[in-house]
Amino acid sequence: MRASSAAIVVLLMLLADAAQGGNLEPSPPGLDARAIAEKVEEIFRGNSSYMHATMTVVSPRLPTPRRVEFRAWDDRPQKRSFIRILAPPKDAGMAFLKIHPNLWNFIPRVERTIRIPPSMMLQSWMGSDFTNDDLVRESSQLDDYDHLLLGVDPDPDTSESERAYVIEYRPHEDAPVVWGKIVSWVDAERYAPLRQDFYDENGTKLRQIRFSEIREVQGRPYPHRWSLVPLDKEGHETLIEIEEIRFDEKFDEDIFSKRNLTRRD
Amino acid sequence: MSLELRLAWRNVWRNPRRTGLTVAATVFAVFLVVFFVALAAGLHEKMIEDSVRLHSGHVMVSGEGWLENQTLEQYLHLDPSFEAAIAATPGVRGMAPRVIGFGLLSKDTATQGVALFGVDPEREGSVSTLPDRVQRGRFVSKDVPFGIVLGERLSQTLGADLGDTVLVYSVAYSLEMAYELFTVVGIVKVPEPALDRALAVISLPDAQEFFVYGDRVTEVALLAEDADAAPKLARTIAAELPRISSSPAEVHTWEEMMPELQQLIFLDDAGMYIMLVILVVVVAFGILNTILMSVLERTRELGVVLALGLRPRAVFRLIYLESMLLALCGLLIGLALAIPAVLYFEAHPVVLSGSASAGMELFGIEPVMTWKLKPWNPVGSAITVFAVAAIAALYPALKASRGRPVDALRSL
Repeated sequence: MRASSAAIVVLLMLLADAAQGGNLEPSPPGLDARAIAEKVEEIFRGNSSYMHATMTVVSPRLPTPRRVEFRAWDDRPQKRSFIRILAPPKDAGMAFLKIHPNLWNFIPRVERTIRIPPSMMLQSWMGSDFTNDDLVRESSQLDDYDHLLLGVDPDPDTSESERAYVIEYRPHEDAPVVWGKIVSWVDAERYAPLRQDFYDENGTKLRQIRFSEIREVQGRPYPHRWSLVPLDKEGHETLIEIEEIRFDEKFDEDIFSKRNLTRRD
Repeated sequence: MSLELRLAWRNVWRNPRRTGLTVAATVFAVFLVVFFVALAAGLHEKMIEDSVRLHSGHVMVSGEGWLENQTLEQYLHLDPSFEAAIAATPGVRGMAPRVIGFGLLSKDTATQGVALFGVDPEREGSVSTLPDRVQRGRFVSKDVPFGIVLGERLSQTLGADLGDTVLVYSVAYSLEMAYELFTVVGIVKVPEPALDRALAVISLPDAQEFFVYGDRVTEVALLAEDADAAPKLARTIAAELPRISSSPAEVHTWEEMMPELQQLIFLDDAGMYIMLVILVVVVAFGILNTILMSVLERTRELGVVLALGLRPRAVFRLIYLESMLLALCGLLIGLALAIPAVLYFEAHPVVLSGSASAGMELFGIEPVMTWKLKPWNPVGSAITVFAVAAIAALYPALKASRGRPVDALRSL
């Protein structure tokens, strides 16, 4: 009885794997999944970056999509970042400062700075489908996961790529990670990220991020359009369109200060 | 028949001391059963009532999926026709529309995640005891916009007192950032520690504005006549909902909202009934013993009547009647003592003090012992006692009626 149910479980797992990687080709020998993951991380993060972007939130609740424009400074080595909201007018001047492990939010209309507690990390950021955790992500897709090359997708569902490596990220036991696993598609030619599927511990796919409009920035194939679709919320989508991105700039120390939070430009 | 009854009655009192003792044991058992079942009923009813009146109400109407998700996504439109239809439903004793959302409360450097209860200041008291629990200051009112009432423990963690300004922060239904300064107007003390640490009450109009929620509410809590009437009221409203609500809605009873309370009561009842079963079994052996003794004493006499031609079935009936009469005496006296006692305590609840009360308060229960005599209590006791007497009499009665007269006459 027990043996047969175990057999069924194994069978189901095999079926699930087959369904997921059904049309994958075996990967060429000598490829290291972690090396690919490293390249992706390098594209996204670099050492430091400055970004000017617009986020569009689509939801059945909203008669017209909501647009949030912001600038973001990210200092990777020192684990700190700063975000200034430029639009909509109601939220303009709002700022987020992250200095590991804290996250502060300045609200100009009430002239208050609020520290966002860890319990709020999974709440929506600015009403989008991104969470505060995505914003301050402490976990590293390199150090907190084991990487497994599932194969090569000869026909990734995007105009950006002809062939993609499919990599599964499995979090370490004690990693501060909310996902059960991440499956990532990476362009086999340029190592540009194409798509990431996020699963919970039970193997349910919760959300998908698609990366497109990949253009070269300082030698990196950088996706300028990120589309996040939460699969548990019908009709929701959050789009981030990057208008400008610069890497490896020397930042003024003053940017990552609490004083900068309350500054009005 | 009446002859048999008279005979049985005389036989029962042939040995007044033995019968008296057995009757006394039965009286004792009946008294304990009625008394403790009434106490359990009273305590449980009070537990349910206290929990229900803490905030949930007996019946809750909410947006479809609210119980599982509890987000602003599940809502009801509180239009006047909906309100009128709910209020006009027979059995609705009170209704309280609410917007419940989650948010952050911040004062100076302290920040705390809270459950924001947007309540209608006038109608909240018709369902919950929240307005009565104000320790200091006042409850929220429509006249004072952006007033907030905090749970006692929450106010301590935040260091926020009456008159202080706190920042309430969340994401609105319109997916914009929601933030507003509120002034602390009151402090409530809620017996449930988890809620007391996270409870922030604002007025319904403020909550609807804060969450950009329009005329929506997340729930409408209803008070039924009593806890037992909740399922019927829930069914009535569920049947009406598709007609009266302009958005998908669902109805839940307190049992569905607080399954742990239901389980606690079940466990408590189970423990009590096991004790009572043991008590009843002891009484059963008492009756068995008495009747068997009297049958054995009368072996010769019973042999004679059988020899004279009395049918075994009549002997069986006689012994059976004796057992029933014994039980009836115990039952009547027991009920005569227990019912007035229970009725007295029902009118005069016992307030506990000292360590017992502290223990109960820790669990959020008011330290008061209450009794409640439900009709099935004495009826159930009577049925139990008769059933027990019937089973206990089986062996002696069979023994008496199956005896062979010759053997009987030879003995003793």
